[in-house]
This record gives sequence, C-alpha cells and structure tokens, in this order.
Amino acid sequence: MAIWNVTSAQHLLSRCLFGYTSRDITLALSYTKNDYVNKVLLAPVTAPAPPGNWINEEPALADSATRATRQKDLVNWWIQLMLQDNSLQEKMVLFWHNHFVSEMIKVAHPQHMYWQNHLFRTHAFGNFRTLTKAVTTNAAMLIYLDGISNTKNKPNENYARELLELFTLGIGNYTDTDVKEAARALTGWQVDKLRPFLNPGKFDNTSKTFLGKTENYNHDTLIDAIFKSPKTAEHICTKLYKEFICSKTDAPFIKQMATVLLDADYEIKPLLAFMLNSDHFYDTRFIGSKIKSPVDLLVGTLKAFEVSNPEYNYLADVLRLLQQNLFNPPNVRGWEGQRKWISSSTFPNRQALTDSYINGKRLNGQSIKFQIDGLAYARTYTSCNNAIVFVNEVSTQLVRYPLSANKKNLLLNILLEGTTPTEWSTNSPMAVTRLKNFFKALMRLPEYQLC
Amino acid sequence: MKRREFIRNMGLLGGSMALGLNGIPLKAFSSPLLLNIEQTNGKILVLLQMNGGNDGLNTLIPYEDDLYYNKRPQIGIKKQDVVALNEFTGLNPAMAGFRNLYEDGKLGIVQNVGYENHNRSHFRSTDIWLSGSDADQNLYDGWVGRSLSYMYPDFETDIPEHPMAIQLGAVESMLLQSPIGSMSVVFENPNTFYQMVSGSIADDDPPESTLAGTELAFLRKISSQSTNYASVVKEKADKGKNTVTYPNTSIGKQLAIVASLIAGGLETPVYLTTISGFDTHANQLTAHAKTLTQLSEAITAFQSDLETTGMADRVVLMTFSEFGRRVEENGSRGTDHGTAAPLFVIGKSVSGGIIGGNPNLVNLDKNGDLLHQYDYRQIYTTILQDHLGLNKAKTEAILGKSYEKLNLFHKSAETGFSFAPLQLNKVYPNPFQYSAAFEYELKRSIHIRLSIFDLQGREVAVIYDGLQNAGRHSQHFSNRLATGTYIALLSGEGRQSSKKVVVV
Repeated sequence: MAIWNVTSAQHLLSRCLFGYTSRDITLALSYTKNDYVNKVLLAPVTAPAPPGNWINEEPALADSATRATRQKDLVNWWIQLMLQDNSLQEKMVLFWHNHFVSEMIKVAHPQHMYWQNHLFRTHAFGNFRTLTKAVTTNAAMLIYLDGISNTKNKPNENYARELLELFTLGIGNYTDTDVKEAARALTGWQVDKLRPFLNPGKFDNTSKTFLGKTENYNHDTLIDAIFKSPKTAEHICTKLYKEFICSKTDAPFIKQMATVLLDADYEIKPLLAFMLNSDHFYDTRFIGSKIKSPVDLLVGTLKAFEVSNPEYNYLADVLRLLQQNLFNPPNVRGWEGQRKWISSSTFPNRQALTDSYINGKRLNGQSIKFQIDGLAYARTYTSCNNAIVFVNEVSTQLVRYPLSANKKNLLLNILLEGTTPTEWSTNSPMAVTRLKNFFKALMRLPEYQLC
Repeated sequence: MKRREFIRNMGLLGGSMALGLNGIPLKAFSSPLLLNIEQTNGKILVLLQMNGGNDGLNTLIPYEDDLYYNKRPQIGIKKQDVVALNEFTGLNPAMAGFRNLYEDGKLGIVQNVGYENHNRSHFRSTDIWLSGSDADQNLYDGWVGRSLSYMYPDFETDIPEHPMAIQLGAVESMLLQSPIGSMSVVFENPNTFYQMVSGSIADDDPPESTLAGTELAFLRKISSQSTNYASVVKEKADKGKNTVTYPNTSIGKQLAIVASLIAGGLETPVYLTTISGFDTHANQLTAHAKTLTQLSEAITAFQSDLETTGMADRVVLMTFSEFGRRVEENGSRGTDHGTAAPLFVIGKSVSGGIIGGNPNLVNLDKNGDLLHQYDYRQIYTTILQDHLGLNKAKTEAILGKSYEKLNLFHKSAETGFSFAPLQLNKVYPNPFQYSAAFEYELKRSIHIRLSIFDLQGREVAVIYDGLQNAGRHSQHFSNRLATGTYIALLSGEGRQSSKKVVVV
C-alpha cells in the first residue's frame, strides 16, 4: 500500500491540479488518500457562471470584432477557472478538449466552443459513451469535422475517420471501408443557429456494414457498436495513463484500467478513482517524470506563489507562444504532450515566462499588471531567515524532481550573492533583489519543468 | 550511463559553460568560418512541409482529361483558368509564379509520388513521410536526422559550430530526430531566440538513468542546444540581408529568415519550414487557392532572393505533404483523404521539367484513390546523393534499402558526372494496349528521333522526329501494334536511350 505523506500528496496534486500551495498539501493530508481522491478531487461537478450572456446569442449576429473579443473572453474565462479549481474538474475538461478536439479558428463562433466546453464539464467524470454520443452531434464538432456537410448523396468522411482513429477505437482497429460506412451512418446532421438537428431527408436510411455487422446504423447505434469493442476502452485508458501517470505506457496496468472501465460500463469516475488510488500511481519512479504542459507551468506557478489576480490577456498570449493555444489545438490529434512541448524555441520561452512573473515585465520590457512578490512568498516559510534550510524547503515545495546538492548550492550562492549564510536575512536591504534572482534561477532550471 | 552518452553530455556542457553569468558568450564567433567539406558539401536543402494533405489534382491539373472534370464537376479547375505547362498538364491559377520557375528550368515536378498501401491518416502518413518508413513499419526518427548523423559522424563529441538543422517553428519535428536524439534547433525568430536564452546557468550534474532522469537529460540537452546556438544564429541573421520583399505570410517570413541565415554564412545544411491549411474537406476552391498563392509567392521570392545573394547554386527546396486527396470530390465541394500526389523540387541545380505522366484516373485503388508511380524515397535518395553528395551505401543505410534515382539534377553532387544529353525516362503505362506516354529529357536543344522498333530491328512507328528544346518532354503515342515486346528508342547527336515496351 502506497504511503500517504507529503511526497505522495505532492505527486498526486501536481498531476491532478494546476498547481498547489503548502496549505493544499496540509488539507490533502487531513483526509485519507481515498477520501481525498473521492471527496475532494472527484467532488461533484460545479457549473461556473458563463463568460457572458452572448453564449445564447444567435452566432450570425455578432460582427467580427465582437466575435474576436468574445473569443478572447472565453479563453480568459477558462484560464481563470483553472486557477481557481481545487479539484480534478478543469483538468478533465482540458483532457476532453484535447481528446475531442475542435479548433475555434475553424468553428469561428465562440458560442459553439463555449457549449462544447460546457459539455466536457458536464461529463467531466461522466460516461465516456454518453459523452461520445453528445460530441458526435455537438455543433462545434459538426462544424469542425464537416459533419454538417456529410449527407446521404455526398458523404464527407472527415468526422467518421477521426472518430474511429482518434476518439474511440484507435488506428489499426478498423478498415477504410469502416470509415466510409461510419460516415454514412452519421449523415444528415445540421446546425441551425445554435441548435444541431437531424435532417431526415439527408440521412442515409439504408443498411451499412460496420465492423463486420450489417444493419441500418445511425449516430446512436454506430457509437454503441464502437463501444462494444474493448479496443475503445484500451484506447481511452492509454490516453488517461499518459496524461496522469507516465508518457511511457505500462500495458498490464492499462489492461487493468480497461477492465475497470468496461465493468463500469464506461463510467469515467470509478476509473479515475481506481487509477488515483492505485499503488501503481504512487510508484516513486513516476515522480517528476512528466514534463509540465504550458498550462501546468503557467497556472501552476501562479497558484504556487498565490497570485490570484493575474492579467489574463498576457497569460493567453504566452500560452500561444508555448504552443498550448486554448480552444485551438494544433490539429485534430490535439497536443501530444511530454517531449513535444519542448524545443529550443519553447524551452527558452518557458524561462522567459517565469522571469516575467518575477520581473513584472514582458520580455520586451513592457509592464504586466501583476508580479510575484518574492519577499512575501519567502516569509511564508518559517525558515526564511536561515538561507540553507530555506533553499532546501523552497526547492522541495516547488520542484518535483529532487535537486542535487550541487544545484542547491548554486541556488544558495545566487541568493547570498557572495556573502555568507549567516549574513542572510529577509530584512536585509538587498533581500528583494536577491530573492528575485533566486526565484528566477530556480524556475529556469530544467528540473522545474518536470512534475 | 553509457560512455558515449557521458561524452556527449560533457561536450554539450562545454558549450553552455562558455556562457558568462549574464548569458553573453565568452567565445566570439566573429571569424568567418570556412565550409567544412568533410561534413557537408556546402549544399543546402530547404524542406517545405504542406500540412493537411495537399490536393495534388487541383495543384497540377490534367486539364485535357475529361475524367478529371467528370469526377470533379464542382471543384475542377476550368481548362481556361489553368496555367498550362505543356499540352496536357497545368498549374492551379494561384501558382502563376511557378510558371516562371518552370520556364527557367528551375522547377522539377515529380508526378504521382506516394508509397505502397498508402495510409490515409494525417498523423500516420506524416510519420511515414518524415521517417522514411514503409506503410507497415514504425520508425521513431526522421530520414533527415539519420542523414545528419552520417554527415556529422562525430557530432556527439565534436559539437558543430553551426546547427546541423534548423526548424522554423516551435514544436520539433520527428524529421530532425536521429536515433540518439534531436539534431536541430527550433525557433521562430533569431532575435527573440537570442534574447530568451540569456540568463540560463550552466548545468553539470551527471544525468540519472531513471525514468524522470532521462526526461531531465532531454530537457538539459535542449537547453544546451539553445544556448549554444542562439548567438551564432543571431549573428548570421543580422549579417545576411534579404534582397527582396517577402509576402507577409507565415511561410513568407519563414523563408525570409532561412534566406538571411544562408546569406549570412550559416553552414546549416537542412532547414524545415511549414505551411498549413491543406486539409480541404469542404469548400476548397477559395481556401486551396489561398494557401497555394502563399506557397507560390513565398517560394518565388525565396528563389529570387537566393539568386541575388549568389546562393542559388547551393540551395534546393523540396515540398511534401502527407497525402494527396480523393479523385472524386465529396458533397461539400471538398475532397477527402487520398494517396499519391505531385511534389516540387526547386533550385538552380535542378533539371526542370515534369517526371512522370498525368495521374491515371481510370486505374484507381478500391477506395477510389490514385496509385503511386514513384516511391517518395526515390526523391529522398536522389536528393541525398545528387544534391547533398552522400554515397549510395550511406543512402541505403539511411533509407533501409536501395531506391532508383530520378533525373532531378543536372549533375550528381556525389560523382560529379553530368547526366546524358538525352534520356528516355518513362513509358507509361507499360505494358500498354493502344496508347502510352513517352517521357524524355533533353539537356540542350537537339534534333531527336523517337521511335519504336520490334525485336527484329524494324522501325515500326516514328513518334517524333525534329528539333526540340532543352527540358522534359512527353509524347503521346496512340496506335494499335501487334501484341509483343518492342524497344522504344530515343536518339540524337549520336546518343541513344532506350526502354523495353510491351503491347498487350
């Protein structure tokens, strides 16, 4: 049985929340591990206030400037929810967004993207088959993968192919003929203003041969057929495994996960509870093995330093630079994560981001409307006037990959700037500058990118 | 830890430790570096990836083929709009700039490029093109990454002064991965790249071989690569000036940066650039015209820039896309995922013209998609040998087997040999019943005779006899010959080139 202590709690929270403070760790440890997972992380979904009344407005009414503003508001609204969330909810909404990808750049109307996001939140821990059915006839998805152009006389394969390849069965578990037949089963769906509806005249109401069985499939029975294959369970479990445990998969454990999911008739909550309570999840070799996503880094750092009023426009700009443009994944496969986040372009951009939090300035020198208060943060540590202990405790709290003695020493030297540990005090006149340099250097370490 | 890995890390660390505390390199890169001809022959390959699956049939249009218009009643490019290249093939009107390249003999086109059992998934097929694998083979590194590991055999211990490859963008491509990791630096803009790496500190902890330790080692390597190369990239970008105005598009900006780095003297032999927007499932006419315009304008500006700066002899640009699209249009005035498509190779050393015939729209696969005529790795092989100068053995090791080269260049960079003044390239289809296309290439304007001989040596048909200009030509032969084997013979100036043909 995995030990429930500061280290394992930090591991759990770093994978399930967008950042945490030492108070969050204390709170987690006040529960048993099972209770914390089931009652806090998997607490019933809460519906936040929407970003504006425009979500119910007929899409065509807005001019392009209004639309652009609302698109920005939508992104900012979601970043704020992530910053405020203390459960697994928003992480799962992001997971579903990255699974059932739609890109706002094609869907265009932020209303549709809002309602799709709402769908992901409603079903965040719900039933995977129910969610897949809902996504299949969701307006944003119908627009994004050309479902609205898929008609009896002229089928369009775009959605059918990605449904099988990326959303459910996985590549290799169907044929090109299955794609064509599935496309026929999905014909006839259209979008009227905000409302998707089935136009019976455009639906191919004849039999289709799909995965070796012939019947008159429609959007509903087609999904049922897809979910009869255990490949669908394995496919989604592999993706969850990579998101929450490790990018290198473990086939036997994924098999166990798939069994749990199939036994629960595709309910996601029991699967998440199983995964997050398993000994496998807490295996120490996984600690610090995940490369933070841009959202993990950007929101997580704010949360760790207790910045509650950031400038959301700035955060959205940086997310684009770091290649996690919310509501606009790069393509229908979504963000692949792990090493794909890192290149000689994004890595320095990540360092520039954490620098900017400390400096209160963008890379180009322009001010941003918030800043990490390094001194105030340091003083939340009782050890703040004992340089050696302080460097140790801060590293343990902020960095998941254990820092070597060498690295800690290097950070200590930056903090002391050539003086001795006995001369260090947060009350010394140079403390503010030195703490800035110290926090910048700490977050510039490659280790800081791991969680 | 393996010794090799240890040495590599030490080498990389050596680079980053040369940085002062504020990130300003202590070692100046001011002296002009001579080309290291042992590593590269000074030739540069610029790859341009067209994301989404470019519709080849609406890019290079078989405008005399009625079947094309039958299968594409709504989205077929009208004959009168086509930018004709010859009597039966023409470009999309959005690519007018390409006609000048073609007429100048700098545009090589290879028709019907693909591979056996073409995959129609964006992601799988992209991986196949990037890795150079067969359809049913999974490779986890790129054909360029593997090529670089042959061009720079000592790169692990002897870090090259200039990046081995540069990718314009933000997410590193599999193309530039070798079996031992990343071979490239990735950035969007040389100036911000330089600015951002300032302030990183040296890292000399030995990496651990744990799960997390290997991820950390990866992060450190990228970090070192960034700091190592940021200053030389900035220096060369500052030095090299663009001599033309590039279109204000993403691909225009990317190629402008590539041209300035080349003009500034950066020795990097491979660049990767990307243009997106080719996944045209619906209402494709306008969208496709837009992306093709961007492509054509950026490439023509790039070529003209290189010619002004005197770099054109060294540089070749090749386009590629994960697949072409379905022959028949879908119901949304778009096209679904398909298979083979044409590919462009552009440069002064390129022997311009069209290799291969128009797509065969009759003989399709069971999905209604084109059958490929050339394997994509034939082009890779040709570029590796005839442009980058790698030998046959290395090319085979890189691509896993031997592929027949195409006549894409005036002479081979590997052997230095010029290709013959005339060459009968292809008879297509072969065997044929009533008609076939005979494709050949002339290096200069000569009087030729193209005819068919039976096995008794009797000339049974003369297809063409007369003076013709340099370049690629194709003649249609249409006549019923008795069933059997024949020799097609192209002759001129005392030289001959022949192919066996079979009439069925």
